[in-house]
Amino acid sequence: MNDDILEGIRNGSRDAFKQFYDTYENYAIRTAKAITRNDEHAKDAVQETFIRVYRNISSYNSNLSFDAWFYRILVNECYRIINKEKKTPSVDTSTMEDNELLTEHSKENLSDLYSVIQNMADLYRIPILLKYIKGFSEKEIAAILNLNHNTVKSRLFNGRNLLKTQLEMIEMEGSQ
Amino acid sequence: MDQLDKRVKKEIFDHTEETSSTLKDEIWNHIDQELFQSKSRRDEKVKKKSKVIPIVIAAAAGLMILFSTQTESGSAFIKQIKDIFVPEKEIIQSIEGSEEETDVNLQEGKDSEYIIYIDEERYKLVKGEESDVITTKEPLEERYPEVSMEIKQYKDVSPETMISTLKTELASEYTKVTAESVTEPLDGFKLHGISGSEWDSPVTNVYVIDNLNGGSFIITEKYFLEAAEGHGARFYAMLQEFEIIE
Repeated sequence: MNDDILEGIRNGSRDAFKQFYDTYENYAIRTAKAITRNDEHAKDAVQETFIRVYRNISSYNSNLSFDAWFYRILVNECYRIINKEKKTPSVDTSTMEDNELLTEHSKENLSDLYSVIQNMADLYRIPILLKYIKGFSEKEIAAILNLNHNTVKSRLFNGRNLLKTQLEMIEMEGSQ
Repeated sequence: MDQLDKRVKKEIFDHTEETSSTLKDEIWNHIDQELFQSKSRRDEKVKKKSKVIPIVIAAAAGLMILFSTQTESGSAFIKQIKDIFVPEKEIIQSIEGSEEETDVNLQEGKDSEYIIYIDEERYKLVKGEESDVITTKEPLEERYPEVSMEIKQYKDVSPETMISTLKTELASEYTKVTAESVTEPLDGFKLHGISGSEWDSPVTNVYVIDNLNGGSFIITEKYFLEAAEGHGARFYAMLQEFEIIE
């Protein structure tokens, strides 16, 4: 994030905020679409995220990178919308860490990699989406999700292994 | 990036292509309308608040002067503060990126020399001989570093002297110390100390505030890195409601 644009936003400049929007909207929309699995929800999440960033810019401090702060708000907003739609509290997936079944619907026939990712438990799915969409490092993902670096490392490793296995299966099926 | 990574990235990008070319504009128009084209109700609320508070403070100060010339009764004086400042109100604070509406309650500090609104669902004010400490209502487990906010007045030490002393103290305790003048959450000088970047790395923020009478108020927040956007943000919101009673 350019310091001049950041300063402009802090001063309430519409032009600075539009510049910021133009720079961040594409990846933000992709990320929200992938997390919410719904275009309308993604739109709401992105709108709300930019509004929150503008209104809370004074509470941002450089202990966290701007991108990590922005994506933390975006991910939280996606979760909020998903949970609101479910109208039930979110499932605590932290206890699933050592579960061999990484996917929530592991018995379904998953014909492409995107379906495989989208059927993973959120604790693997979200780090993978952040890694591949925006190219965030493990350290940055840990900051966004407020997790320990090693936890993220392990989740990405397990998630990626599952993708590798599924890809091999998809390719084997294709060659038969 | 190996073949698998390239394939995964391509699959995600193919599935998240913008379905409508106008989506970007639609989102911007909504944001623009909300932030720049019309005043939201919340903005108006904030503006009203910023106008009303100085009037309330001026009224409080006036009444206190009047009151102190008529009686020495401390309890009546405190009652007067409670009559002037609303005993309970709702604030909106940003916690981990989400806005949260929280009820806060009026508390008068040591010797009624300041007031602050406290989120009493989570915190309590413990009054001591030398200072007041706001800490978690339920004690934290032992594995967590200290979480507290201490408010102490040094009636005879100027802010400049305090800043110099505290800088040295923090530098001996933390590997990274920063210092800056701030206008939020209150007008003053902020010192920030942190060592490490683990989840439980201790963090200290010290605010030095002019007590407008030759001395200083020192507010010391202690929490840990992972709690920065939790307890840290809640302390920040409470400090926005801190007022010195002259």
